[in-house]
Amino acid sequence: MADRIVEAYTGEYAAGKSENALNRALELARRGRLVTLVDLDIVEPFYTLRPIQDELAAHGLTVLAWKTGETMGLGEAGTVIKPAARWALRRDGDVILDIGYGVGGSRTLNLVEGAGSDPDLKVLAVINISRPMTASVADIVQHVRDLGRVDGLINNTHLGDETTGEVVQEGARVVTEAARILGLPVVATAAAAEIAEKIGQADCMDNPVRPLTRFMQKAMW
Amino acid sequence: MEKPIQEERKAFLTGNEVVAWAALVAGAEFMYGYPITPQNEIMHYWTRLAPRYKRGFLQTEDELSAGFTTIGGVMGGKKAFTATAGPGNTLMQEPLSMAEMMRLPVVVVVQQRGGPSTATVIYSQQEVTLTTMGGNGEGLRIVYSTSSHQELFDYTIKAFNTAWRYRFPTFVLGDGYQAKMREPLTLYDPEARGVAMVGTEPFVGKEGVPGIERPPAQHRNTFSLEEELYEKVKTDAGDYEKIAPSVAEYSSKYTEDADLVILSHGVVFRAVAEAVGSLREHGFKVGFFRPVTLRPMPVGPAREMAQKAKKILIAESALGQLARLFKEAAFGAQAEIHTLFKPGMGITAEEVEEKARELLQ
Repeated sequence: MADRIVEAYTGEYAAGKSENALNRALELARRGRLVTLVDLDIVEPFYTLRPIQDELAAHGLTVLAWKTGETMGLGEAGTVIKPAARWALRRDGDVILDIGYGVGGSRTLNLVEGAGSDPDLKVLAVINISRPMTASVADIVQHVRDLGRVDGLINNTHLGDETTGEVVQEGARVVTEAARILGLPVVATAAAAEIAEKIGQADCMDNPVRPLTRFMQKAMW
Repeated sequence: MEKPIQEERKAFLTGNEVVAWAALVAGAEFMYGYPITPQNEIMHYWTRLAPRYKRGFLQTEDELSAGFTTIGGVMGGKKAFTATAGPGNTLMQEPLSMAEMMRLPVVVVVQQRGGPSTATVIYSQQEVTLTTMGGNGEGLRIVYSTSSHQELFDYTIKAFNTAWRYRFPTFVLGDGYQAKMREPLTLYDPEARGVAMVGTEPFVGKEGVPGIERPPAQHRNTFSLEEELYEKVKTDAGDYEKIAPSVAEYSSKYTEDADLVILSHGVVFRAVAEAVGSLREHGFKVGFFRPVTLRPMPVGPAREMAQKAKKILIAESALGQLARLFKEAAFGAQAEIHTLFKPGMGITAEEVEEKARELLQ
C-alpha cells in the first residue's frame, strides 16, 4: 500500500488515547483499508482495548491485545507486552498503536521493532484541556516536550456527558496555540459524533473535526 | 500557601485524581503511603502536584508504616493523610486503632478491592466491616461512603474538617470503580465557597514548660489497669455518641408511600437510584435509602424508614456487610428484609430493577 498509515497515540493519563486510536482504526477500516489496531498500554491496564477487542474485530479490524483471562497479576504485577504487538509494524496495511500514558507510555514505543526507523510512523499526542495537568498552553507545551518524539497534536477536549461545542472549541484554541509554540500541526479536533456534527467539518481554528463513537466506557479491565 | 484552585472550574478526572485534588485544596500538607491497586494514582497524582504546591510525600515500606507515619505527621500538627485498599487496609488497622485510642485526626481514603486477602485489584464493597469496625476497639471512627466524583471531592475535603473538629480517625470509603472511572466534576476552593477549614495544632512539642506553663501532652495507647482503660473507652464512646447525630448523613427518596425501599451505599447507590427512577415511572411504589456515613449510621432515620416500609431490599457488592450495620440500626422494625448480595461484583440498575419487580409481584 503506497500510502500506508502508521500512527501511535500517546498523551496524558485519561486523555482519550484509546478512544481516538480505535475510532481512527475504524474510520480507516470503513474506507476499505487493511488495519491493525494494537494495544500497547502496559502502564495502566484498567481501560484498554482488551475487553472490547471482539466487538472491534467484528468491525473488520485486526486487534492485537491480550484477553484479560490470559493475563496474570493484572494491575498489580506489571503487564507483559504481547509478542505479536512487538512485531506489529512488520504487518501489511495500516497500523494504529494505542500506547500507555505519559513518559512511561511513550517509552513503550522503544519495545516495538522498527519504531525508530519506520518512515510512515506519526506519534500523535492526545490533549484534553479539561484534564488539569494539560489545562493551559504552558502545561501542554511542557507535557508534550516531556513525552519525547511527538509529530502532531489532537485536541480531544471534553467533559464526558457534560461536553458542549464551546468546551471543544475552547480546547481547539488552547491546543492550537500550544501546537504553534511547539511547531507541530494539530492533526484533528475529536468530538463525540453528535457534537462533531454541530461543529461541522472544521473547528474554530480550522482544524479538521473527527467524530468519535464512544466505546471505552465499556472497556473496564 | 498558594491556592491550587483559583477559580471554580469543571474538570474531567479519575476518582483517584479527584482525591488528590481534594486533599490539596483542603490544605493537606503531607501524604504518607504505600502502593496498592486500585488507589495507586492517588499517590502518583499527589506526587505530581505536591512539589508545585510545596506539600510533602513519604513512601513507606508498608501500610503499617504508612499508618504510623501519618500518625506522626498528625501529632506534629500537620494535616496528613494516607490512602490504601484491601490487604493494605487490613495492615493499617493496627495504626488506626492507635489513632482511635489517642483521638488523632488521621484521614484515610480507602478504595475497596476484592477480598479476602489479595483477591482482585478491581472492585468490591467488602471493606465495610473492616473500615467501620476494624481494629481491637469499638469502631470509634467516621466513615463516609461516596457514590460520585463530586462526592469524592466534597467528602475528602469534609473528612479533614470532621477529623480535626472531633478528633476521631475519619475515612472516605470509595472503591476500585470510583477510583478508575472518569467523569466531570466541579473543582473549587472550599474557602471560596464559605467552607472554613478547621485549623490544626501539634499534639507534641508545644511551646512552654509542660506541667508548669501548659498541661503536659500525654497521649497514651497503653494503660496499666482495667479501670483506667474502662474510663478511657467510656469517655471516648460518650463523646462519639454525642457527636453521632450531627455527623450522620443519609439521603432518601420516595420512602413515605413505598411498598419497597432499596438500601445501598457507595457506587451501588448509582444503580439503585436509576432503578428506583425507572420503577417509579412504571408506577411502582419504590423508594431508596442510602446511608452516606456508614459509621455512625443514621440510626434514627434508618429505623423510622424500616418501621414504615413493608419490604426492604439491601443491595451491595459484599455478602451482607452493609446489611449487618443496617439491621443493628433498625433492630425491632417489622419490614421484611430481602437481599441482592454480589461480593466483588458490580451491580447494575437492570439487576436491581429485576429483583425489585420480583419482590413487588
